[in-house]
Amino acid sequence: MSGGSGFARDGSVGVEEEAFSKEPTPCAYTEYREGDTHAELPNTGEGSEGVESRVWEALYGVEDPEMPVSVVDLGLIYDVAVEEGEETHVTVTMTLTYTGCPARRMLTEEIREAAASVDGVDSAEIRLVWSPEWSIDLVTDRGRESLREFGLSV
Amino acid sequence: MIDREELSEREREAVEELLFRLADDEFVIAERYTEWQIYAPTIESDLALANIAQDEFGHARLWYDCLADLGYAEAEYLWERPSTDFRHATLCELAFAEGDWADAVVRSYLYDTAERLRLEALVDSSYVPIRDRVGKVIAEESYHREHASNWLDRLASESEGRERVQNATGRLFPHALTLFEPGDHEETIVESGFRTDSLDDLRTEWLETVVPYLESIGIEVPGPESVERPDAVGRDGSHTDDWDDLHESFTATYHELGFAEPTRLRGEP
Repeated sequence: MSGGSGFARDGSVGVEEEAFSKEPTPCAYTEYREGDTHAELPNTGEGSEGVESRVWEALYGVEDPEMPVSVVDLGLIYDVAVEEGEETHVTVTMTLTYTGCPARRMLTEEIREAAASVDGVDSAEIRLVWSPEWSIDLVTDRGRESLREFGLSV
Repeated sequence: MIDREELSEREREAVEELLFRLADDEFVIAERYTEWQIYAPTIESDLALANIAQDEFGHARLWYDCLADLGYAEAEYLWERPSTDFRHATLCELAFAEGDWADAVVRSYLYDTAERLRLEALVDSSYVPIRDRVGKVIAEESYHREHASNWLDRLASESEGRERVQNATGRLFPHALTLFEPGDHEETIVESGFRTDSLDDLRTEWLETVVPYLESIGIEVPGPESVERPDAVGRDGSHTDDWDDLHESFTATYHELGFAEPTRLRGEP
């Protein structure tokens, strides 16, 4: 995997610090791997290259269904991981602003399709996580600008 | 900390029990709340209760997702599950006394107070998938209690409303206590740290919260020890007749349309 950034096995970011402590608890059934301590959120894919960067670009094209803001600028995308082998597989780790989001299915499917449609990507999947919790702090500056323009006070 | 693939058989059964209780409570009470849409006494309260229902559906979804990760298909954990396999407390399933807004308010107050205590006892859960979701759920709960207690104060401030609250409390209280009825795996749930407080502790804490508050607004609360345990308590699969009706109605469309894949939308691959 490339592009992984500090995710514990369960998909959480940052909160599972134990998993990355200097002396991890050895467990025969657990595959330990190193992360870059904490993922920096919001993640916008800045500085990424190749397939990963093209996936981020595609995700920028997906807008929130209610507001004219990209899901990346809204801070919903926590990570893009590209697995390159015989086939190239992308895992997008993301959250939603609200657990009862009626657009959950629509939005996650749109994001999956956007990632899967990128040149050089064979398949894509979504990992929906709820930790760390999304908050307005995860909206990028550009996202804030779009939301203000839309008439929201952020 | 225990993740999905590390569960022993016994722990897995305990986690499933815990998750079904959480998910079923939220799902079933949300189903009931939706009955107030367009009937609540003010447009604000109509929107508020609809919104609370939406939150609870969202939370049910999160907990059912955890069961899906343990291998259950949506049809198995919801649409095709026999009604007697549901593990929600009977408080969630009872039909509202007809047109009685006080019923909805008292029920929400009793339920959401218990819900907060239960969720707080999951913050440090040893089961990673629960731990990773509970913060988000707690953050969406506080206005439910605010809504319920604002209405309670308002209703109890004059005599007709107070009488209605009193009647609803008498009717619902025994069923609210079923929230704390243990299931078969309660011991493992606590021993393994999936929930950090026992149901007994939660019950005590809940009583210490709801009894003084209700008394402070002039409502008499039955002594918990003198309350007759309802014939059906939900947690063991025994349910009231109201549940049969509700179960039939929320699965009717599923059966009517003969869905194989109930949640797929048109045009989705």
